[in-house]
Amino acid sequence: MTTTLLKLAFAGIRSRRLASGLTVLIASAAAAAIVLALEVGATGRDPWQRTFDAAHGAHVLALVDSQAEARRIATLPGVAERDEPLPSALATVASGGDDLLRLTGLRARTRVNAPVRTEGAAPPADGVVIERSFGEALGLRVGDTLRLAGRPIALPVVGTAISPSQPRYPRSKPGLAWVTRAMLERIEPDRRRWSWTAAIRLTDPAAASAFAASLPPGAGDVQTWQDQRAAALLDAQPAQLILTTYTIVLLIVVFAVVAILVGARAAAQHREIGLLKAVGLTPRQITAMFAIESAALGLIATVIGFTVGALLAPTLAAPSAETLLGSPAPAPSAWHLLAAGGPILLVLLAGVRSSTRRSTRFSALHAIQSGARPPTPRSRLARAVARVPLPLALSLGVKDLLAERRRALRLGGAIALTGAAIVFALSMQASLDARPAGEPSDVTDELPVLVYTLDVVLLAITATTLVAVALLSVRERIRDYGVLKTIGLTPRQIASSLVGAHAAVALLAALVAIPAGLGLYRIVYAIAGGDNADLVLAPWWSLALVPIGAPLFVAAVTGLPARLASRIPAADAVRYE
Amino acid sequence: MTYVLEARGLAKTYDTGGAEVLALRGVDLAVERGEFLAIMGPSGSGKSTLLNLLAGLDRPTAGEVRLDGDRIDRLSETELARLRRRKIGFVFQFFNLVPNLSVLENVELPLLLSGRGRKQARASAVELLSELGVGDKRAVAPALLSGGQQQRVALARALANTPGIVLGDEPTGNLDSAAAREVLALLRAARERGRTLLVVTHDARVAAAADRVVTLRDGLVSDETELEPARPVALPFESAERP
Repeated sequence: MTTTLLKLAFAGIRSRRLASGLTVLIASAAAAAIVLALEVGATGRDPWQRTFDAAHGAHVLALVDSQAEARRIATLPGVAERDEPLPSALATVASGGDDLLRLTGLRARTRVNAPVRTEGAAPPADGVVIERSFGEALGLRVGDTLRLAGRPIALPVVGTAISPSQPRYPRSKPGLAWVTRAMLERIEPDRRRWSWTAAIRLTDPAAASAFAASLPPGAGDVQTWQDQRAAALLDAQPAQLILTTYTIVLLIVVFAVVAILVGARAAAQHREIGLLKAVGLTPRQITAMFAIESAALGLIATVIGFTVGALLAPTLAAPSAETLLGSPAPAPSAWHLLAAGGPILLVLLAGVRSSTRRSTRFSALHAIQSGARPPTPRSRLARAVARVPLPLALSLGVKDLLAERRRALRLGGAIALTGAAIVFALSMQASLDARPAGEPSDVTDELPVLVYTLDVVLLAITATTLVAVALLSVRERIRDYGVLKTIGLTPRQIASSLVGAHAAVALLAALVAIPAGLGLYRIVYAIAGGDNADLVLAPWWSLALVPIGAPLFVAAVTGLPARLASRIPAADAVRYE
Repeated sequence: MTYVLEARGLAKTYDTGGAEVLALRGVDLAVERGEFLAIMGPSGSGKSTLLNLLAGLDRPTAGEVRLDGDRIDRLSETELARLRRRKIGFVFQFFNLVPNLSVLENVELPLLLSGRGRKQARASAVELLSELGVGDKRAVAPALLSGGQQQRVALARALANTPGIVLGDEPTGNLDSAAAREVLALLRAARERGRTLLVVTHDARVAAAADRVVTLRDGLVSDETELEPARPVALPFESAERP
């Protein structure tokens, strides 16, 4: 019997190619979104800690005037690991006005508080490796030349790096750069002008503050790992909040997408369940057959979705990591595959159980004859819409869409959330535009890039859902389209009914998205500690683009399914089961 | 003589995954205005294919179809849709009412498509439904009606724009005897009001009510029989409602 069920399940996949394809398409989009959400979430989690771990960060950093003092601090009780103190000297950047720079002379093997390479050569190297945010502020990239005021030395920029002890420039001054010890001696031959850094790790990291307090007054500038973290998190908090918000939005959209899929599959299976009962399969065998089918499709979708998510994740992880001054998060792993595939498979299998249970309540004959699930009574909304004098094609399309009101609501919800994320991005851009020119900001240059990239991901998922939902509607309504053509609807009217109805849902969703997006921005702004007096929201003209753009976007992506619907020959359509 | 509907050398070939199926092999047919023509034949003889081609729902592989003397087989999909709105009513075996529309909305639809105002369309649809004995069902969903009631609604929809021709594809094929009798009576009543009827059927009673019976076999006309004129009919529900 198992072989028979397997054969039936795979025959079902082959015979319902469109439905199977749509299932894989939607489930893949959902799986990819889960992988992306996990990746974005991982990047936002403990960004400083990851950098600290990568740098083998110092529990205490002491910047003192003499090498002897630095050595003395490094040999105090409680120190577990130390490096030879590192010399550094201050210089002024010639090309960048009065930007002050601390150049540290690294040894070949720096173990504690080593800079973490982000681009180009790893420090120390021939030339200079500059701290990433400092390089961005000065407009210096790998391959450019750093010139120092009053010194006849041109330093080629060979790499960029980050350090857990250096918050973002220009909030933290001076800027930071790393050279070799030999290069430092050329830049600043007068050793009396050098400072020395003792980077030490303690046997008890929790005792860092007590250790720092035990140092004699005048021991120089002392920083514990807690100080470093607090300063770095000031930079990372807005981005962390935004990443968390987008992770939640992505997961809600995924839920809506999968719920649409499960509902559509249940509707499509109704008649087939009747046929299988008629040929003698028990409800349990029918459930097993559909479960095999759904599991096979879910597995294919998981692999595709994981691959797409894993390919896209670095695009998102890179700006996220830069925004958070953190190291990139670990690449998608087997855990991500399980996390993406598990919920998809579970929901698909739960959907099978629910639909088979519901359909076995009806007699086999009823299920076969009705072709689809019996229509549900019209909702209040559908009755109200029926009274609105809409153009005929639009009215037909809206009635069709509202006949599956749960699906329409979930679709509208997904569009509204995507719209809200766009309103959020517009408000953030308005805040950035409202900053006085040249003023240092907590918001990094990468943050808008990150937010727009996440918006594009959301738009892509919503577009995939829209195409799939429109194709599902076409598949379910093929016979109705044939009948409508027989009565006298033109192909253009058929296409308009489908596109118009989806665009109408998008318009309503966009109207909801505006207050939702503004509200979301206000909440995130307040949690990030923003001052209400400085709050800037998206201007009205950019908000007006949302209800204009949403229906146009939806009309564009549902155009292809609508064209398919309009081209179905009427004679074939009326025979379609 | 100009026929209301005419087929010349009509052929249709279906390509079913590499194998060609000859559904029609050159059918000539002419239907006079006001005539009731029944098309009979065994399953697979090409009856429904012929009806679809005559209604412009499908395109012939060869031959031509003329409606009121004009060729329609070369018209675009849009032109055919507009033509059907005005001139052709269609009744299916399985009723094919749009499930998401109420009974009234189903009947209103062709009226609205032909440009009638909302109020006027509604009034005409209500009148037509009452005339066919389903006026009290106008607010309900089609799925909640019996087969006979659904076919009456389908007939009301087909007659809404007072088309010159009504085409039926086994209109009594899915009904019990009583409902089939009622539908047949309605078709004959429509014919008496000047409609041309062309009905594909397996039902001998429907065929017996026709003026002429054309029999198809293997995609060709194999027989054609003129029948005696039928007696005028009274609508079954009319006799009950108006004694």
